[in-house]
Amino acid sequence: MTRTFLGYPRANGAVGVRNHVAVISVMDNCNPVTRAICQAVDMTLPVTTLFVRGQYGHDLEVAFNTLAGMGRNPNIAAVLLVGLEEQTTEEVARRIRPAGKPVESINLQPHGTINAVAEGTRRALKLALAASAARRAPCPVSSLLVGVECGGSDTTSGLTCNPTIGAMADRLVGDGGSVIISETSEFLGAEHLFAARAADQAVGKAFVEAVTRLEREAVSRGMDIRGTNPTQDNIRGGLTTIEEKALGAMAKAGTTPLRSVLAYGEAPAGKGLHFMDAPAPAVENLTAMAAAGCQLIFFGTGVGNPIGNMVAPTVKVCGNVNTLRTMADNIDFDASAILEKGSKAGSVGERLYDFAIEVASGTRTTSELLDVRETAISRFAPTI
Amino acid sequence: MPRAIVLHRGDNVATLIDTGQSGETCTLQGESAGEVVLLQAVPFGHKVCVRATPAGGDILKYGQVIGRAARALAVGEHAHVHNVESARGRGDLAEGRP
Repeated sequence: MTRTFLGYPRANGAVGVRNHVAVISVMDNCNPVTRAICQAVDMTLPVTTLFVRGQYGHDLEVAFNTLAGMGRNPNIAAVLLVGLEEQTTEEVARRIRPAGKPVESINLQPHGTINAVAEGTRRALKLALAASAARRAPCPVSSLLVGVECGGSDTTSGLTCNPTIGAMADRLVGDGGSVIISETSEFLGAEHLFAARAADQAVGKAFVEAVTRLEREAVSRGMDIRGTNPTQDNIRGGLTTIEEKALGAMAKAGTTPLRSVLAYGEAPAGKGLHFMDAPAPAVENLTAMAAAGCQLIFFGTGVGNPIGNMVAPTVKVCGNVNTLRTMADNIDFDASAILEKGSKAGSVGERLYDFAIEVASGTRTTSELLDVRETAISRFAPTI
Repeated sequence: MPRAIVLHRGDNVATLIDTGQSGETCTLQGESAGEVVLLQAVPFGHKVCVRATPAGGDILKYGQVIGRAARALAVGEHAHVHNVESARGRGDLAEGRP
């Protein structure tokens, strides 16, 4: 029997696990209006951004595509874009429209702040009223695309939370769903093991090239990545080298074949496990996953990293007994039974899979309820 | 007695899952058994050397190389950034990388 969750079926066949109206800033100077509209209207989600103005070329394409990707995400019922002027706003709007959901926009020029907030609030209210008519219905788990992330890692991460997430990922892929693992720098020292899982030679080559490109970049700039990755909190948590961190981080991907290599924020074309070439820091990495269409993210942590994504509810999984005590308000799932009771990651992962279905059906996460959420789009070139 | 996990039979380090004090005997579990006397305090989650390793020798965890010994490591010694170093992403060694 196909396993199901209670989701929001969308017009384009995708399924949301939440039902928000996204109010999206087209560039940084729009953020105050975005926030004001979201304070006024329930069901809205502020998706703010830094920069965009002055970005060009590939860097600007990434920014537009990432903003639009968050708008297209199936957790979003409708979008209100807040822009400075029509032309740039339209660049984002036209990338969202193919998802078949309402997309409206309000520009600061020539209305000014007060009128833009007033008109934006009116439009957001209409969008939210219409969106609130949506009802959850049983949907197959195969419609889920899940991001797997780790942050604030320590040596418990590779022993507890990450293998637990990996076991859950295997179950989801086995049921026809999809998974994205990312954080390119956190494959240094483990890439040979992951490359061996590539579905074909071209995918394996593309993956190894992404890791090699990153290392070559660090070396050519004369950088020593020690102290940046692993970070100082990773080191306090017992992680000695990036190789050790990578071997533990890779456990999040489970054991299924690697199907494709994605660019920053790119949506996978098929089912199964995918790798996204993107910077490792959580906020910009989670943003890319949400832009790729992930409805949920599973985030393993050891010494504790509270941050979640705005668009994709982020489930914090921890197996460090100390962190579970000191940062309980930031953890959603306890995986400590692996070290404390000798439980197998497979059986704890089975419980996490059950919990995934609950969260997909509406159970809230700590980062949603405490609103510890942030958005950041990676920058790949200077602004002019 | 503090516990330490050995993840692969060939590993020369084990990960403590309790806090260990200097002079305490640590129980090995996982893919190995036995005991190791800690030569220093080893914090929760940190590693202890379980097989004497010469300077420059590979440090093995999960049966994989996680770095190399910056100096000789004795059994019971805290193995971390002060005596183990990464071999990856080392732009500082770009000239004549070993």
